Amino acid sequence: MQLTGLLWGGKLLERVEFPTAEVLGPEASVDEIKDLIKRKGQVFIKPIFKGGVGKKGKSGLIGRASDITTAISEKERLYFAEHVHGTTSAKADGVTFEGGVAADHEVYFSLSDSTEFRAPVMTITHHGGVDIEELPADKIKVVPFDPLTGLKSFHVSNALEELGAPKEIISPLVQNLPKLWDLYNNYGMNMLELNPIRMSPNKKGRLVPVACDFKGSFDQDDPAWKRLELPSHLFASDYSEFEQEINQLRTYQGQSDVFVMNDKGTITAPTFGGGANALVTELLGDRATISSDFGGNPPYEKMFQISQICFKYWLKQSNVLFVIGGKANNTDIYETFRAMADALRWYFQTYGPTPLYVVVGRGGPNLIRGMAYMKDTLESLGLPYRVFGFDSAMSEVVNYALAADKWMEKEGRKQVSALIGA
Amino acid sequence: MHKEGVKGFPYYVGVDSLSEIATKDDRVCVLNIVGGESRTVTPVSHIYSGGNIVFGTSPGRSGQKLKTSIGDIPVYNSVKEGLAAGHKFNTAVIYLPPSGVRDGVAEVVRKNPDLKKVIILTEKVSVRDSRIVRAICQTNGVDVFGGNCLGVADSWNHVRIGGALGGNAPEESLLKGSVALFSNSGNFTTTIAVYLGTEGWGTTTSISSGKDVYIQYGPKEFTHAFHNDDRSKAAVMYAEPGGYYEHGLKFDKPVVACVVGRWKAKLTKACGHAGSLAGSGDNAMAKEQWFMDYFDCDDIYTPEKPVFTKKGAVVTNIAHIPEALSKVMEANGIKPDFEPTGDLSLKCWMGNNQGLNLPEELDVPVVTAMEPYDEQIEAIDKQVGAQFPRQAMKDTSGASMMDPKTQVTKVHKVSILDCSKKNLEENLVFSLMKEYPEERATKLANLAFNTYVNMNGDVALAAADASREAENSPNTVLASAISIIGKGRAKKATAAIDLMTELFQHDKVEDPFAGDGAARAGALSADQKAVLTDGEDGSKFLESAKSLGGDSMFIQLLDAATGGKPSQDAVLGAIWATVGWSGLMRKKISKLTMGELPWYSLVFSAFVGASVPAAKHTADSFCGVKSDEIIDGWSFTETAFLALIGKKPNKAELFEFSVLLGLIISNGPGTISAQGAKGAVSADGPQDPLRVQINKAFVGMLTHTGFAHGGNGYEAVAFLIDLFKSSGLKDPADKGHGIDLKAIATKYSRDYADYKKREKAAGNIDYAKVPCINHPVFKGKDVNYDPREQFVSGLFNDKGIYNVFLDFYHNIVQSMFETKVTKNVYCVNVDAVIAVILLKMVWGLYNDGKISDAEVESAGFTTFLFGRMIGTAIEADDHQNRGRNMDTRTAASKCSYVG
Repeated sequence: MQLTGLLWGGKLLERVEFPTAEVLGPEASVDEIKDLIKRKGQVFIKPIFKGGVGKKGKSGLIGRASDITTAISEKERLYFAEHVHGTTSAKADGVTFEGGVAADHEVYFSLSDSTEFRAPVMTITHHGGVDIEELPADKIKVVPFDPLTGLKSFHVSNALEELGAPKEIISPLVQNLPKLWDLYNNYGMNMLELNPIRMSPNKKGRLVPVACDFKGSFDQDDPAWKRLELPSHLFASDYSEFEQEINQLRTYQGQSDVFVMNDKGTITAPTFGGGANALVTELLGDRATISSDFGGNPPYEKMFQISQICFKYWLKQSNVLFVIGGKANNTDIYETFRAMADALRWYFQTYGPTPLYVVVGRGGPNLIRGMAYMKDTLESLGLPYRVFGFDSAMSEVVNYALAADKWMEKEGRKQVSALIGA
Repeated sequence: MHKEGVKGFPYYVGVDSLSEIATKDDRVCVLNIVGGESRTVTPVSHIYSGGNIVFGTSPGRSGQKLKTSIGDIPVYNSVKEGLAAGHKFNTAVIYLPPSGVRDGVAEVVRKNPDLKKVIILTEKVSVRDSRIVRAICQTNGVDVFGGNCLGVADSWNHVRIGGALGGNAPEESLLKGSVALFSNSGNFTTTIAVYLGTEGWGTTTSISSGKDVYIQYGPKEFTHAFHNDDRSKAAVMYAEPGGYYEHGLKFDKPVVACVVGRWKAKLTKACGHAGSLAGSGDNAMAKEQWFMDYFDCDDIYTPEKPVFTKKGAVVTNIAHIPEALSKVMEANGIKPDFEPTGDLSLKCWMGNNQGLNLPEELDVPVVTAMEPYDEQIEAIDKQVGAQFPRQAMKDTSGASMMDPKTQVTKVHKVSILDCSKKNLEENLVFSLMKEYPEERATKLANLAFNTYVNMNGDVALAAADASREAENSPNTVLASAISIIGKGRAKKATAAIDLMTELFQHDKVEDPFAGDGAARAGALSADQKAVLTDGEDGSKFLESAKSLGGDSMFIQLLDAATGGKPSQDAVLGAIWATVGWSGLMRKKISKLTMGELPWYSLVFSAFVGASVPAAKHTADSFCGVKSDEIIDGWSFTETAFLALIGKKPNKAELFEFSVLLGLIISNGPGTISAQGAKGAVSADGPQDPLRVQINKAFVGMLTHTGFAHGGNGYEAVAFLIDLFKSSGLKDPADKGHGIDLKAIATKYSRDYADYKKREKAAGNIDYAKVPCINHPVFKGKDVNYDPREQFVSGLFNDKGIYNVFLDFYHNIVQSMFETKVTKNVYCVNVDAVIAVILLKMVWGLYNDGKISDAEVESAGFTTFLFGRMIGTAIEADDHQNRGRNMDTRTAASKCSYVG
């Protein structure tokens, strides 16, 4: 659950009284923008992306203006800007206007939980404003600290001194940076990055750290972020309609997230277990519609609802229904298979028959009862199928499912359709 | 700030060797021991380990015990209480929900100075809580394993602590050997252990590390302990992307590493394992490279291209682990631990091509599964008929449901609107078979039903008469008769059908008309033949059956085995065996239902028979028609009509009557009548299904209908009679009746408007409403329709059937609107349909003075009971197959006292 930009980041920083650049949202009037330019000398115009967007490439997508005409034309250019990064693309929905902050010093600061130290760490450098990954190691300080006591002033001052940071920025940073730990720790964050923090002189000539950008993410498993009362749409676009629907059923017991891998995929594979999920998704690649983990012994009703949703979205285009998992330790195979079989039957009754080749690979408690129930359903629906036990290598079962998919694509789908009257 | 543990680590590590991870001396306390997951997993761990759990905690449950076959584990409210009771432990297992983990760890660390290890099984612990847990345990010198893990196990020590590592039979997968196992995936820990066995490798210590952001016992500590454990000659590590845990390792003994998850580099959110969201430096490919560097390999190991060194190998598919390990060990001169157990090739346990021409690589044959699954599969194959899991069926039905939007009830997934297009005998068979019968089966069903309608001399009929004389309502009258149609009446027929089922059940013949029954006759024992002849002579019955379905293998068997002289009950059994066979073979119905079919049949017949007084049953006729004529040619629907109205229906009347009955079949399991039937079954205890008294289920329905439920159709009938009695209407079916319906409707509406005004003025808001118009769901529009009424009107229009009373109803809702009695045009609801069909049926008789008002009311009620009889069979059969004993009971806590 990622959040970028000062429009909302600024509000979070305000909670801990950390100074931020002045921000106007997309609804700002011409007069308000003019006023901001007048007071700050220039404004930065930044497109608003939901979720997280890669740091590189955002450049070119930042506008700068010291007059209203340029500001408005930049707004036009960037309002619906599209940003492609890797295999994903994001479309902006609005812009922010951020007042320029004159500064001689730019600082990079971030908080995260490090797997190297297995503790929260602060990353800091006074060579801020650039990509942190481009800096040599000796110019950055990564400081782990005790989560029970938190980020303390001495962590900040020691780090900056060791880096040889200019004396005048140390005290203001020492006073303000520890507040960010409160934000990070109390609201369930697992990453917080301010880059750059501009050290700006106040009326008395003393330097004040001003956050000029914000990047953060929240731990899905920590409910504390809800106290922030952030509008749910901020994170909503992280998910497709299907993902949103199914993730409503997510509880701590059973069923991690489900993701759309390829909305043109042809194998729908309800998978059980994190390990199985990793292996199966890897091997199915682009052929898979979704990647899922329904392990953790979900009860019948939940498994039934999950299956209904999956089938509703993906069964029609699928060649293969592939139920796969290892030898379960806990999950009741009878309950879960009964739920999936009943959902399959429901789908056929509600939407009519659809050609499918069904492949199953599983082990666990009540295994044969579950397999028998599935088998009875497949027989009554007239679908071709193969059921494998846990003594077949999972990768081989996956290969079998891939082979079935290829056959269906080539000629099987027509034959199965004729068979079941689809 | 951490305690000093094993030297060489900048943080606390307590365990120095893998042999210390799960030892026979460890004593365990389980937090939240009676939670859902722990309840099934903990006893297995306890037994496998020889009893190492000293107590568990669960707030508010002090004094309870977790039962295991080697002794009970005591439960206390808290760790403090358990320690105060004198127990000692060094290991804590945490089964608490995510929000409780941190405080649970804090509690156990604070209260127990002997604590050395904590294993956190809980998934989805927040990152914040994980780092706090780590900090607390580091400060206090406690090793932590997990979160989101399946625990640890040691096959040499025969100990398992924590979760379900190895499943519910750990000794099957945890074979003693020389390989240490460290896995990010809980399930794969067991899977990999099983896979290793196929190459003859067993395990020493297995650790499920979890894959959260914080992996509390990580590869570095594992590697150190692995080096110090002489039993472990090699290690297998399964790693997923995310985190630098596998960075900077140094191995002194051979290791095979499996890294899975290259695809996760595309993700921006964690999938499955919370910690497996990688940046650029810790994705799958990076980890593969780290391991390849440790082993001096320049590529991944695959069977096609086996790249490995003495130091180790890297695979990306867990199925390649055993082979890679064997190669690496061979290079080190180390032999496997034992003979290979099994292999990983594809073994298909169940399959069916459904007649398709599959290519070779898909057409894998079904093979015998490993023990004990082979026996279980064999038992399943032998199973005949459907199997239903049992559950509490209070206010629950597996057969009927009402759609709240359309208000239409479906039974066996068919809308009753569609059922109403079928006739009574078809619906009765459908109620039990869940599918409509084909022609021959329908004819046989008619034969069975009609044969028992004439109850002349039957004491059940006398009971009905006595009840009728004592001025009981029609339902009570019928209940008196049905109460007598007990098990004693049906048991011989049931014995016959059970015998026939036994004989043919494994023949794999689905079509009862396709087998050879006569051939079987010779093989019957004397006892078996006796079952088929025990009772009244049924030769005539057999002849009738032969003429309708002579090539049924059951009728053939009966004929041949008894020389054409079977008992009456045996013929009944053979008829129902024929009707039910295909459904049984295709597992649509259960063997239980099959055996009960004759009893249902007798009850259905008695419903119709006992609905008329004994005077109408003579030795050879029923309601003035020769019994033989009825048996040999009538449908049961016609017989029921005869019983109600006293004559044979014409085609249109037959159709309307069928529609009427169909509409009444069911309104879901919540109706009082359904509750009565279900309660009766529940009280007999369906878990011992042969004790359930089928007739009593129908009595349950009958006693749970009454003047408000079932008998209330009369209100509308009375309303119509009142309006039409002096209208001169002769034939309600005649469109050219010449009556000005609009005038009657308009006058009535005006009169009603005045009446309503008067009543309201007098302060009486309980004034009479016009029956059968308006509906709580179908209202609010300018013109409202009840879709069910629409459906039926449409059916009648199609068949050219006219009903003046229905026509009148359409008029009256219009007039009520035009005279401003109503704000919009109310719908004519489905109860009106029932009333108008009924009145049309009896109008002739009523007009001629041949039946009284009371009799019309009784006919209405009885009609309802005939229709609901179908629905009762549906619910009773459903509850008998699927319910639990006494499940319809309401707990006292849900009841209220309003004294």
